[in-house]
Amino acid sequence: MKMQIAINRRLQVSPLVAVLLTLMGIAFVVAMVRYIYGIGAISNLSNSYPWGFWISFDLFTGVAISSGGFLMAATVYIFELKQFKPLLRPSILTAFLGYIMVVIALLVDLGHPERIWYMMIHMNPTSVLLEIGICVMTYLTVLAIEFAPVVFEGIKWQKFAHFIHRFIMPFVILGVVLSTLHQSSLGSLLLIQPAKLYPLWWTPILPILFFVSAVSIGLSMIILESSLSARYFHRGLETHLLEKLAGVIPIVVGTYLIIRFAQLGLAGDYKYLFSSGLMSVLFWTEILVGSVFPLVYFSFRKNRQSANGLLFGAIVVLLGMILNRFDVSWFAVRHPDPLTYLPTFMSGAHYVPSLPEVAVSLGIFSAGILAFGLAAKYLPVFEEEEPHAEKL
Amino acid sequence: MTDIQHKAFLFDATRCIDCRACMVACSVENKIDMDKTRIWVAGVGLIGQYPELKRASMVYHCMHCNEPDCLSACPVGAYSKRNDGPVLYNKDKCIGCRYCMNACPFGVPHFDWDKGLIDGAFIDKCTMCPQRIDKGLEPACVATCPTDALVFGERADLVKEAHARIQAHPERYVDHVYGEFENGGTSYLILSHVPFAELGLPNLGERPVKDVSEKVMEITIPFALGWGTVLTGTAVAVHLLNQKKAAKAKKVEEEQTEEAVK
Repeated sequence: MKMQIAINRRLQVSPLVAVLLTLMGIAFVVAMVRYIYGIGAISNLSNSYPWGFWISFDLFTGVAISSGGFLMAATVYIFELKQFKPLLRPSILTAFLGYIMVVIALLVDLGHPERIWYMMIHMNPTSVLLEIGICVMTYLTVLAIEFAPVVFEGIKWQKFAHFIHRFIMPFVILGVVLSTLHQSSLGSLLLIQPAKLYPLWWTPILPILFFVSAVSIGLSMIILESSLSARYFHRGLETHLLEKLAGVIPIVVGTYLIIRFAQLGLAGDYKYLFSSGLMSVLFWTEILVGSVFPLVYFSFRKNRQSANGLLFGAIVVLLGMILNRFDVSWFAVRHPDPLTYLPTFMSGAHYVPSLPEVAVSLGIFSAGILAFGLAAKYLPVFEEEEPHAEKL
Repeated sequence: MTDIQHKAFLFDATRCIDCRACMVACSVENKIDMDKTRIWVAGVGLIGQYPELKRASMVYHCMHCNEPDCLSACPVGAYSKRNDGPVLYNKDKCIGCRYCMNACPFGVPHFDWDKGLIDGAFIDKCTMCPQRIDKGLEPACVATCPTDALVFGERADLVKEAHARIQAHPERYVDHVYGEFENGGTSYLILSHVPFAELGLPNLGERPVKDVSEKVMEITIPFALGWGTVLTGTAVAVHLLNQKKAAKAKKVEEEQTEEAVK
C-alpha cells in the first residue's frame, strides 16, 4: 500500500487527494445549482418521496458511524480503562468530522438552510426532529471541546490543552447523554409513520433498537478507521485493543437479535417474515449480514486476532447495519402519492436517487476523508500509540 | 370524537362528477400557480368485475385533523390549529425540513421543489380558506361545487348528516363515515360507494399517528437527567475504586521495600 496522503509545500498532490478534491468540486457545483434553481433541479425527490438518499446516507448513516466517539470517551473517561487511550483521539476525530458532514449535508437538504438556527428560538417540544437538531448542535460543541486539546497540542499551546483536560469530565458525560438521546431519537423520528413504515421495521421500541445497533456500528467503525489509517499512514495497529472491542460485538448484536425478534413475536409480525417479497429479502439480508454473521464470526478468537480478520468483520457489520438505516428511512417507507391519491406502492410512483444527489453526498464524504487525513498528518491524533503495537 | 366543536367539510363520492371546478376555484381564491394545486381530484377508474362495475372520483385536500400530526412533527412550530378548525402553516417560521410531509399520513403538505434560495421554497397546503370563513363565507371549493358533493358546516352537524344519508340509502353507501374517528377525527368527512381503500385512503386507527412519538418525547428529558446521574455516579464510583486500588498497591509496594530495607 504505497498510497499516501500528502499536501507538502511544493503542492504535490497524490492521486487519492486529487480524486477527493475533484469529488468535492463537483459537489460544490451541484450544491450551487440546487441553491439557485431548487432541490428539484438536481434531485429525484418529490412530494411522494420528500426524503431520500441524503437523509438515509448523510443523516442516518453519518450519525450512526459517528457513535465510536462517545463509546471511546465513555470507556476511557467514565470506566477509566486507560489502555484504550490510543483509540480515543481517532474516534473523537471521526465523530467530530462525521457530525460536521451531517450538518453540511443538512444545509443542502433543508429548504431554508439560512434558518437552521430557528430551532433555537422557535421550539416545538413534541417534535423528534427538534430533539435531533438540538442534540446535533450541542454534541458538535461537546466534540469540539473534546477534540480541542489535540489542536492545542498540535500548535504547542500546552497550557490550553491541560486547562481543557482538567474540566473534561462534565463534557464527556454530557456527550454520552447527548449521543444516547441522539442515536435513539433517529429511530424515534420514524415513530410518526406507523401507517407508512413496513411492520417488519415499525415498532414503538425503534429508539432502543437504534441505540443498540449504533453501538455495534461504532465499535466496527473504530476497527475500520484504525485498520485503514494503520495501512495508509504506516503506523502500528493496536490489534490487542481492537480484539477486545471485536469481542464485545457478538454480545451487542446478540442482544439486538433477541430484542428484534422478541418484539416481532410480541407484535404478532412473524407472518411478514417470509411473505413480504422484497421486504422479506431486505429484512433477512440486514439480519444475516449485520447481526447473525458478526455474532458467529467474532465469536472465534482467530478472526479477532488477525488484522485482516478484524477489518473484514467490521466491514460486514457496517454493511448490514447501514442497510438497516436505509431500510428504515427509505426502502421500507411507503408514502401516499398525493397526485393520484394512492399510496405509492399502488400508484407506481417510485424514487431512485439522481446522480447529482449522490454526487453531493460523495463530495461531502470526500471532504471528511481529506480532513481526517490532514488532521492525522498535522495534529497529534495518533501520538499516544503504544510502543509494542504491531507494525503493518 | 363526535363532540368536536368546529367547522368541517363533508365529501360525498357518490355525488362527485369529476368536473374539477373545485381545483380551479381554489387556485383562483388562493392565487396558486397554474402548475400547482392545493386540491386534487383523483379519478380511480373502474372498480369491480363486470357487470358489477363502479366508477369513483375523490376530492382530496388537507384533512384538517383534530390532532394534527404535522403540527406535532414540525421542529419550529410552523403549524397551528385554529379553534374553529383550520390547520394553518406559517411560512415565516419554516426551515424546509419536510418532516411534516413524512408525518402526515395523508401526504398532504407539498413542497416547492422548483424554488431556490432567492424565491424561497416553502410548504403549501389547503388552509380551509380562513379569509372566507372570517367573512361568513364557505371555502372556495365548497362554494363552487355544482353537485354539492362538497358541503361545509359545523362538524357535529355534518357527522349527523352523513349518517342520515347512509340510513336513507344503505344500498348506495359503504356504512362508514371516513374521518369521524380516523387519526383522532378529521375535519374532512368522506362518504363513499366503493371501499375507502379503493379511494387510496390509508387504513388508520382512532389515535393519531403522532401518539407514540409524542409519548417518547415526553419521557426524553427525565430519561436524559436520569441517565446523566447514573453516568456521573458510575464515573465517581469507578474513580474512587481505582484510587483505592492504587493506594493499596502503593501500600503493598512500600511494605515490600521496607522489608527489603530491613
